[in-house]
Amino acid sequence: MPRPAHVLFFMVCAALLWGALLSCSLGFAQLPAPELPAAERNLAIVVNQSNPVNDLSMADLRRVFLGERGHWPNGRRITLVMLEPGWPERAAVLSGVYHMDETEFNNHFLHGLFTGEVFVSPKTLATPEGVRKFIFNVPGAIGYLRASDVDKTVKVIRIDERLPGDKGYKLHVPPRENR
Amino acid sequence: MGREKASGARKAMPGMRSRPAHSWGRFSRYSSALLLFFILCAATAVGLFAIRDLRRADLDSQNMYTGSVLSLHRIAALQYQTQETRRSTLYALSTADSNLHVKYADQSREADHLVSEGITAYLANARTPNEMDIGRRLQRDWSTYLNVRDEVLASILEGSTKEAVDLDLTQGVQSFDRVRQDLAEIERVYDQQASQQLSNVDATSRRTIIRVGAVLGITLILALASVWAIQRSRMSNAIQLARLQMEFLASVSHELRTPLAVISSAADNIADGLVKEKDDVKKYGAAIQSQSRQMTELVDQILLFSATKDRENHAAFGILDLSEILRSVVHQASELVSAAGFHIELEIAPGLPSVKGDASALARCLQNMIVNAVKYSGKSRWVGVKAFPGGSQLPGRREIQIAVTDKGIGIAKPELPHIFEPFYRSPAVVAEQIHGTGLGLSVAKNIAEAMAGHLSVASELGAGSVFTLHLPIAADAESQVPVEIRAEGSTEK
Repeated sequence: MPRPAHVLFFMVCAALLWGALLSCSLGFAQLPAPELPAAERNLAIVVNQSNPVNDLSMADLRRVFLGERGHWPNGRRITLVMLEPGWPERAAVLSGVYHMDETEFNNHFLHGLFTGEVFVSPKTLATPEGVRKFIFNVPGAIGYLRASDVDKTVKVIRIDERLPGDKGYKLHVPPRENR
Repeated sequence: MGREKASGARKAMPGMRSRPAHSWGRFSRYSSALLLFFILCAATAVGLFAIRDLRRADLDSQNMYTGSVLSLHRIAALQYQTQETRRSTLYALSTADSNLHVKYADQSREADHLVSEGITAYLANARTPNEMDIGRRLQRDWSTYLNVRDEVLASILEGSTKEAVDLDLTQGVQSFDRVRQDLAEIERVYDQQASQQLSNVDATSRRTIIRVGAVLGITLILALASVWAIQRSRMSNAIQLARLQMEFLASVSHELRTPLAVISSAADNIADGLVKEKDDVKKYGAAIQSQSRQMTELVDQILLFSATKDRENHAAFGILDLSEILRSVVHQASELVSAAGFHIELEIAPGLPSVKGDASALARCLQNMIVNAVKYSGKSRWVGVKAFPGGSQLPGRREIQIAVTDKGIGIAKPELPHIFEPFYRSPAVVAEQIHGTGLGLSVAKNIAEAMAGHLSVASELGAGSVFTLHLPIAADAESQVPVEIRAEGSTEK
């Protein structure tokens, strides 16, 4: 029969070995990610091709995304398009434009719609492709896409006079994860 | 009283003609082949007609199918896609899910792309101004509807369902109805075109049936006419042959009866003791001898005709001295006719080459020619016989020509093709009661052809005739120099 001291010693050793292995794996995970193309890392703000707006300031963009502006200069109603929670693009917008987390975001729109301070309820789509097609179909729509997902069906607007990839462009997105 | 003597002056051309049995077979065989060829040609013509019309009908059918049926199919597909465009838009109204909105919008746009392509294809294939007008109108109406559809879709996607429904009811329904009317009109046009094409196919089919029927009818009629003509020709020839054979029999009987009557009369007189004097007996004997010779000659002539029909018997052929044979024949003939005042003039070219053949047959041939000339020399009572080398119509062949000339009444042109035919006797000869079997010239012609030669004639009515025997010069023959001879009643140059 093994003694309790021996069992205890064995368990401590196993714990130490496990801890070492875990440390190593975390250490590897914290290695710098490989360099990604700029289009993969930049988040583009996109509107319908018929939208006359070509650039917005970050402050105006925030007002639009917060639903505080109801119409575009041409009179078209603004329709805000968001990706479903979990998408890095959504996380990037929440942090970079809204400066909110998911809860604050939801609360903002629930409160705003209830009080009438918010004019636009965001449409939530499951995929970037859905976002792109939505914006293509709705003249007043505005949304965001990873720059590499942008095509000719939508128009990218400047933020603070900068396009994605320009120096000083503020909206970036983490690397794409497999969902 | 020889046959030629009894004939007297020449009043018409000799000969009596019947078609030989092998001619019937040849005629029948050629006619059958001709008839078969004709029917084959007719059947081919009918077939070509039928094939051409069937191909035309087939082409019309294909045109109808490609031009109308396929077009109707395309229009049906176009109608479906227009409905799909609208249906997808309306589906989007039935949900609040933005992802489904996008999906339905996508479907609607895919369908409208197909419709736009279909309209473009229709315009490209439009042939008539009416089709072009309808196509342009459809294009315009479809564009109008798509503008409305885009607004409706945008409203739906924005979440403004009421606005979308209002827009669709006020503008979408009307514009889509116009599109449907345009498509229905195109369908009507295609229906009309299909009907037109169908009537064309029907007309072509009817035309084909009429043509084939007509050509078959004509073919049948012509075939029947041909069969009838052949049968009639055969019957006519058979009747003619029978007539000629009867005439021949009558002629031969007459020719035999005359000497037989003389012989019988002379024999009766001698038997009855009426002829007692030695000179009378001698005279009666000479008459019996003469008539017997005449009968023998007649029988020989008939037998010779049968013999000369076989032209392939070349076994007895040898190299012949023409000069000698000519002199002999002329001599014998002169003896027979000199008493009647006939003069036969013989002229043989020097160095006349030999020919290959049967001497007795050649002598018979020449004799027949001379007797024929004597029989029909008329009042001139002159016959010329001339032998000389001559050119042949066949290239590379040399021949000897023996021309027997008389200055008698000549031969009418229509008679010329028939005078060498066996048993043929011209109506003028029969009318003048010039006796003969109609075999003399035919026998001469057969003999000439048996020796690879031929017999030709040149004649002018009232001026005389020249019968020429053409014989090929024997390849291994040596030239022979004629000897001057003079027969009684004849002159040789």
